[in-house]
Amino acid sequence: MSIISQLNRPAIFLICGIIIFFVAIVCVFFMVRAYRAGKAIGMDTTKMKRAVTSSATFAILPSIGILLGVIALSGSLGTPLPWLRLSVIGALHYETQVAEAAAEAVGLPGLSGTFMTAEAFTTIALLMSVCIMWGMVFSVFANKRYLKRLSSPKKGGGNGGAMGFGDTAMTAMFIGLVSAYIGSYIGSLVSGNGLFTFTGSWLPIAVVIVAGIVMAVFIWLAEKKNAAWVENFSIAGSMIVAMAAAVALGKFI
Amino acid sequence: MNEQEKNLQFEKYNNRTHFYGRLASIITLVMLIAAPFVMGAVLGAMPNMAAFGKGFLAIGIVWFVSCIAEYLIYTPMLGAGGGYLAFITGNLINMKIPCAVNARDIVGAKSGTPENEIISTLSIATASLVTILVLAVGVVLLIPLQPVLQTPALQPAFDNVVPALFGAMAYKYYRKNMKTAIWPLLVMSVLFILVPSLTGSTSFMIIPSGAIAIGIAYMRYRKNQKGAQ
Repeated sequence: MSIISQLNRPAIFLICGIIIFFVAIVCVFFMVRAYRAGKAIGMDTTKMKRAVTSSATFAILPSIGILLGVIALSGSLGTPLPWLRLSVIGALHYETQVAEAAAEAVGLPGLSGTFMTAEAFTTIALLMSVCIMWGMVFSVFANKRYLKRLSSPKKGGGNGGAMGFGDTAMTAMFIGLVSAYIGSYIGSLVSGNGLFTFTGSWLPIAVVIVAGIVMAVFIWLAEKKNAAWVENFSIAGSMIVAMAAAVALGKFI
Repeated sequence: MNEQEKNLQFEKYNNRTHFYGRLASIITLVMLIAAPFVMGAVLGAMPNMAAFGKGFLAIGIVWFVSCIAEYLIYTPMLGAGGGYLAFITGNLINMKIPCAVNARDIVGAKSGTPENEIISTLSIATASLVTILVLAVGVVLLIPLQPVLQTPALQPAFDNVVPALFGAMAYKYYRKNMKTAIWPLLVMSVLFILVPSLTGSTSFMIIPSGAIAIGIAYMRYRKNQKGAQ
């Protein structure tokens, strides 16, 4: 039995399915409570129903984009784990980065079904869970106090400057992260088989370029052609096209 | 119902929301951390804790900082119920935040009001359920496709998931920040060319690369602030 077939065993589906089912029940519970509370405080039920229908229609397109992410990761991690991660807590760009770093940490050459082992898989699954759980942890310990503090009247001036750079710092951190990986692809091409031999694989760089071009087209459509809805597919769509290009370009290696 | 009764009713609802939110978050956390070990029992291979520690030091710290920033920024937008649900279900930037803001705009709820709290919770719960449903249907449809997805011809696609992601993200982040991006990209490329063995520790290199990017971004931010004054 291949490793991917093992990772797709019904028992693994069941483990992930139970967690997803629990989260679905939590969502229904919160929804019913919010609706009842809205009615109790005299909110217009038509408005609440509009919020539900508009959110349902809004969520369909991004959900299909997220499904493409499950497909993208299923070749290296099987289907159940990406299904769980992208249904609960995760997001496509987080999960792929953490899975790649985790694969590296367990000694795999990269996130790939070819090199995956059962031990590497369970270690990657644990790292994915622990690395991206902090939002939930902070919610448990700080939500009540934080929201209370926000709703209380402010003393003195705000801290707009610090928040302003906080946003810039987040972007800069992602730029640093992306640069480290792209730099590694360039380094592998130039010196992967010996200093300045230029005999390493050029496929990852070609994939980066194709994904960048497709993303540029998505952004152009969203910004210049007023097709904001395409943004829902921008990351997953760029990835799928670039991965298809890898299949085509791989024939030339 | 007068304003005082309404506030009292809402306060009661909100206090229970914190209780249920905490409970749901703790149960989800326990299940998420236990799942790899249960999968390990099924597959006959438990997680390698040494590799886990190494991986956590490399990548966990970066995401810890990112999670703090996300928590501080998004919680005030989502309120109590919406916040707990959004952090449990994820996909904040690409779905939950725009979805909640959209619902709030359609309904005309104002920030910080009980109405906003209710609408935000309804919106995020609905969006999460739609995602769970779409993914469940998609995964069922994917099962018969597994033999096709595992053919050797498609392996280059799955071996290049990460470059595909970073290519897309690079364009998104670089295009408006080229002056910040050029330096970490240049420094990292030169480092990886001169010390090719570093490719095995790329995730560690995120730290110096991120530090360079943040340092340059800060200098440019200060310069812009002074220019504005």
